[in-house]
Amino acid sequence: MSITAETAKQHANDPAVLCCRAEEGTVLDPSRFEDPAIFPDLVDSGLLNTDGALTLGQVLNGKTKLTKTCDSLTPLNADNCEGFDAAAAPAAEEVVEEAPAAVEAAPAPVAAAPVACAGGVIKLHIGEGKNIDIELPTGLGGGAVVAPVAEAAAAAPAAVAAAPVEEEKVVRELTRKHYKITEVKRGPETKIEGSVLYIREGIEAEAVESQDLVTSMKIEVITPDLYHTYSETVMDIQPIATKEDEWALGEGVTRVLDGAVTVVTGTTDEGIQIGEFGSSEGYLDENMMWNRPGAVDKGEIMIKYFVTIKNGKNMERPGPIAAHSAVDYVTAEIRNAMKKDLPEEADEVQVLQQIRRPGKKKVVVVKEIMGQGAMHDNFLFPSEPVGVLGARPNVDLGNVPVCASPLEVMDGCIHALTCIGPASKEMSRHYWREPLVLECIHDPEVDLVGVVFVGSPQANSEKFYVSNRVGQTVEMLDVDGAFVTTEGFGNNHVDFVTHIENIGKRGIPVVGMSFCANQGALVVGNKYCDAMVDNNKSMSGIENEVLACNTLCEEDAIRALAMLKARMAGEPVKAAERKYNVNVKNNNVELIDKAIGFDIELVDNEQSLPMSEKRKAKYD
Amino acid sequence: MDKIQMLLKQHVGAPCAPVVKVGDKVKKGTLIAEPTGLGANIFASVYGTVEEITEDRIIINPDEEQSDEYVKLEKGTPLEMIKAAGIVGMGGAGFPTAVKIDAHLDHGYILVNAAECEPGLEHNIQQIEETPEKLIAGLKYVMEIAGADKAIIAIKKKHRKAIEILDNLLKDEPAIERHLLPDIYPMGEERAVVRECLGIELEPTQLPSAANAVVINSETVCRCAEAVDEQKPSFLKNLTVRGQIKGGHDAHVFMDVPVGTSVRDLIERAGGLEEQYGEIIMGGAFTGRATTLDAPICKNTGALLVTMPFMDLKGAKMGILVCACGGNLERMQDLVKKYNGTETHVCYCKQAQEQKNGTRKCERPGNCPGQVKNNMDFKKAGCEYIIIGNCSDCSNTVMASGPKMGLKVLHQTDHACRAVDHALYRTLRVSKAVDQDLNVVDNVENN
Repeated sequence: MSITAETAKQHANDPAVLCCRAEEGTVLDPSRFEDPAIFPDLVDSGLLNTDGALTLGQVLNGKTKLTKTCDSLTPLNADNCEGFDAAAAPAAEEVVEEAPAAVEAAPAPVAAAPVACAGGVIKLHIGEGKNIDIELPTGLGGGAVVAPVAEAAAAAPAAVAAAPVEEEKVVRELTRKHYKITEVKRGPETKIEGSVLYIREGIEAEAVESQDLVTSMKIEVITPDLYHTYSETVMDIQPIATKEDEWALGEGVTRVLDGAVTVVTGTTDEGIQIGEFGSSEGYLDENMMWNRPGAVDKGEIMIKYFVTIKNGKNMERPGPIAAHSAVDYVTAEIRNAMKKDLPEEADEVQVLQQIRRPGKKKVVVVKEIMGQGAMHDNFLFPSEPVGVLGARPNVDLGNVPVCASPLEVMDGCIHALTCIGPASKEMSRHYWREPLVLECIHDPEVDLVGVVFVGSPQANSEKFYVSNRVGQTVEMLDVDGAFVTTEGFGNNHVDFVTHIENIGKRGIPVVGMSFCANQGALVVGNKYCDAMVDNNKSMSGIENEVLACNTLCEEDAIRALAMLKARMAGEPVKAAERKYNVNVKNNNVELIDKAIGFDIELVDNEQSLPMSEKRKAKYD
Repeated sequence: MDKIQMLLKQHVGAPCAPVVKVGDKVKKGTLIAEPTGLGANIFASVYGTVEEITEDRIIINPDEEQSDEYVKLEKGTPLEMIKAAGIVGMGGAGFPTAVKIDAHLDHGYILVNAAECEPGLEHNIQQIEETPEKLIAGLKYVMEIAGADKAIIAIKKKHRKAIEILDNLLKDEPAIERHLLPDIYPMGEERAVVRECLGIELEPTQLPSAANAVVINSETVCRCAEAVDEQKPSFLKNLTVRGQIKGGHDAHVFMDVPVGTSVRDLIERAGGLEEQYGEIIMGGAFTGRATTLDAPICKNTGALLVTMPFMDLKGAKMGILVCACGGNLERMQDLVKKYNGTETHVCYCKQAQEQKNGTRKCERPGNCPGQVKNNMDFKKAGCEYIIIGNCSDCSNTVMASGPKMGLKVLHQTDHACRAVDHALYRTLRVSKAVDQDLNVVDNVENN
C-alpha cells in the first residue's frame, strides 16, 4: 500500500519499490511507494528482489523522475529513474552508527507486522556525558522470596544519593512472618506442632460435602523423594498464609508457611482435565518448572489436592470455582491452626515496604488477568491471602480495571482460577512474588504508583469497553510510563494490544509483556506495540504444557523496566525482527549485563527437566 | 408489450407521491407523481390507463395506439422548465438536475461527462454523433443557469468521429472546449472528470462545486434542451442493450425508450436472450446490479447487459476485494454465489473510503494505492480465487502480484466484458495520460 511522507521518512534507508504502475516522466512522491514493512514476506515468496535498489531517502528528494514506465513492485535503480540523490546512502549509514549513542532497546512486534513477536530488551551506551550513574534493578535472586529488610535498607542510600531533592516516602508496610514446615502429616486434628503440619483425617469428606459440584477429593503429601508422582493437571499453586489479628490484605502482619505449598489439581468424574489450551498432567518432576515465581520451589513439600467435579462442569464457571472452594475449605482450617498454634516469634521476618519516590518517573503496572468466564476467572481481594471468602470474581465485576497496592498484590489479593495454557498461566503464587512489581519497588529510579488489574472478557465489544477504561485510568494516574502484562495468548491478545494502544495514544510510553515466541505470536497489533518483552523461555517458543515455564520472571522484569526507562527517556526501541528470534533477548541481556557489570542469571527452561513421554511425543 | 411500471423512486432523495388514481387515463407527459422532498416529477411515458398503484410504483396499461404527441410543459424560465420536467442525472446517479445546476458558480465551469466509461455502452457517443446541436443548446442553458462562463466536454480520445463532429461545432463556441480522456476506467467518475479537466483533486466528501464546477452527463444536457425548447417532460431514456442476445454481441442502442418499459420488452426488441447466459445486469458492468426480466427501466438506467454464463468454481475458496469503483460487498457476494465459490476473506481497497451513508468513494479515482498487502492477506486466508471490482489501474496492480502468488484473479466485469467483446480488466497496457491533440497517437506501451 502507498505510504505517507511520515512513513517514508521512517524508512528512508529501506529500498524504494513502486506500489503501482507509474509512467515515464513521473516525479516521485511518497504515495508512489510500497510500504517496506511488507518487503520481507515478498522477498521470501520470490515476488521481490531489492538487491541494488535505491533507498526511499535517495529518491524522495522532489526531483527524482522515472525514465521509463514501470509496473507495480518495481524496485528503483539507475536504470529506471534519474535525479536521485547519490549521496543519501552513505549519509544515512552514518546516522545509523551514531544512533546507539544513548539507551537503545530492541524487542518485539511492529504495527505493520503484527504477526511478529520477539522478546528482549536493552542496550546501554552513553556516547557523551560525565558522572552518569546507571542503576538497574538487580533483583533478589532466583525470582523467589521478597527482600529481607536488611537488603532493602542497604539499597536505600544509593537511591537517596541519586535523588537528593525529594525523599522517599514509605506509604505502608507489610510484615511477613515465615514459619518453617519440615513435615506434613495426617492426624486427628489440624494443627501445627513445631515444624510439623498435621491435616485432619477425614476432612476431605467435609470439603466435598461443602460443594455441590465436587464429587471427590484426595489429599496427597508429596515430599521431594516423591516428586516422580503422576498428577492430573495443576490448576493452581498457592502459598499457605493467614492474616494476624484483623489486618486487611496488604498491611499489618501476614503469617506464611515456608517449605509447604498448596497444589490444586483436578479432573471431571470421567477424567477430563480441567484445562483449556493444554494441561500439565503427568509426572510432577517432568511437568513442573521449578522455582518460577508461580511454581513450586524444588525441595518444597506439596500438599496436593486431587478434586473431581461433575462431568461437563470443567468448561463452566461453577465447576472450577467449586474445586477451588473445596480446597480452600481445608486451607481455611490450616489458616485457623496457624493463627492458634504458631508462636509470636517467627523463624524469619520480612518487612515489605510500599515506597513512593516523588520526583522520580512514575510508573504503573497494568496486569491483564483472564476473565472470559468458564475456567478463566480470578477471585479478587479475599479476606485471607489467596482465600475464597470475601472475594469477588473479576468476571462478576465486569472485568473493569481494579487498582491494587503493590503490597496487596504480594499479600495474595489474587486467587487465580485461570486454567489457560499451563506454561504461561500466572498461578496465585505468582502474584505473591510478582517479579515486575518487585523490580519496580526496588528500583530507586522509578516511582511505582500501584498495580491495575483488568480482566480479559470473551466478547470483543467488552474487550474494547474495558480497554477504554484502562486508558482513562492510566491517564488519570498521570504516570510517565506503564507496563501492560498478560498471561496466555491468542484471544486475550486482542485486549492486550488495545490496552497498549489506549495508553500509548495518550502519549504515555508503554512496554508490553507476554508470551509470544512462535506459537503465541500476536494475532493483532497497532503502532504502539513497538516496545515488547517476550516471556518465552521454552526452547521451541511454544506452549509446552510445562507448568509456569513461560511466565514473567525476574529476567523479563529487568528487561522490561530497562526498556521502559529507555522509552521514558525518549530513546528509540529498535524494531523487531519478523520472526521470533531468541537472540534478540540474549543480545539485550548481554547489553544489560555489560551496563550493570555483572551477569543477569537466566532461569532454566524445560530442557532441565526429565523428558516426559508427552513432551517427547508432542513437542521436542 | 408488458405493462409500464413507473417506480416512485428514480432519483436521489425521497420517493414521490402519486397524483393519479387507479382508472385514470394518462397521456405521454401526464404528471403522475410529485416529489415529497428532494426528488423530481414523474410523468407517464405512454398513453394508457392507471391499472394499479403500489407502495413503490404506478402500473400503467398502455393503449394499443401510441401517438408521438405529449402533454407540454408550461413555459417559464429555463430553470423552472428543467425543474418541472423532472430531469435527473442520466449517467446513473439520478440526482435531480434542477437542484444540481442551480449552483450559483463564480465564473465557473460546466463539465459535460461524455466519458461513457462502462464497458460496452454506446448510446451517449451515438447521441453526440447524431444530435450534437442539442448538446450545445442544452449546455448553453445549463451554463446560464449555473453561472458558468466556461464549459468543457470530457470525452474519450478513442471516439474520433464524435470528437471531429464536436470540434466542428465548437469552432464557433469560444466558451466551450473539449478535453480528451484516456480509455481507462473510471474516467466518468464525477471527481475524476474534475481532476482530468481542471487538475483539481477533490476529497471524497467534496462536491464539484468545491472546484467551482458542475459535472453533468451528456444525455442529461440534451434532455435539458428538450425541456426548454420542446417543452418536453422527462419520460424517455436512451440506453444500450447488449450481450448474450440472439444475433450477436453488438450493441443495440435504443433512443427515447419510454421510462417504465420492462427489461423483457427491451431484450426482445434487441433480438431476445441467447439460451445460455449468466445474469442480466441493469446499469454498467461495474456499477450496475443483477436484475430480472420483469423489472422496469428508470430515468437513470443506462444499460441492460446479458452476461456470459458463470464458471462453476465448485466451492473453491474465494476472496473479495471491494473497492469504490465496482460493486459493493453485497454485489460481490452475489457474484461469489453465482460463481459457486466459498467466500473466505474480504479486503477493502485502501482508498475506498466509507461515506456517512454507508457507500464508498475512492480517494483518488483511477490512481492505485497499491494492492499487494491485500493479495498477501488473501493468500494467508487460503483463497484460491479472488474477485475484484477495481479500476484499470488497481486491477493492474492486483495482477502484478496476485497470479505470482498463485491467486487466480477474476474481475467483477469478466462475464459482462466477454459478452460485449470488451477486453478484460487485468494488466494495463495503455497510458493513463493522452495528448490533447487528436492527431497525436499516444503511447501504448507493452509493459
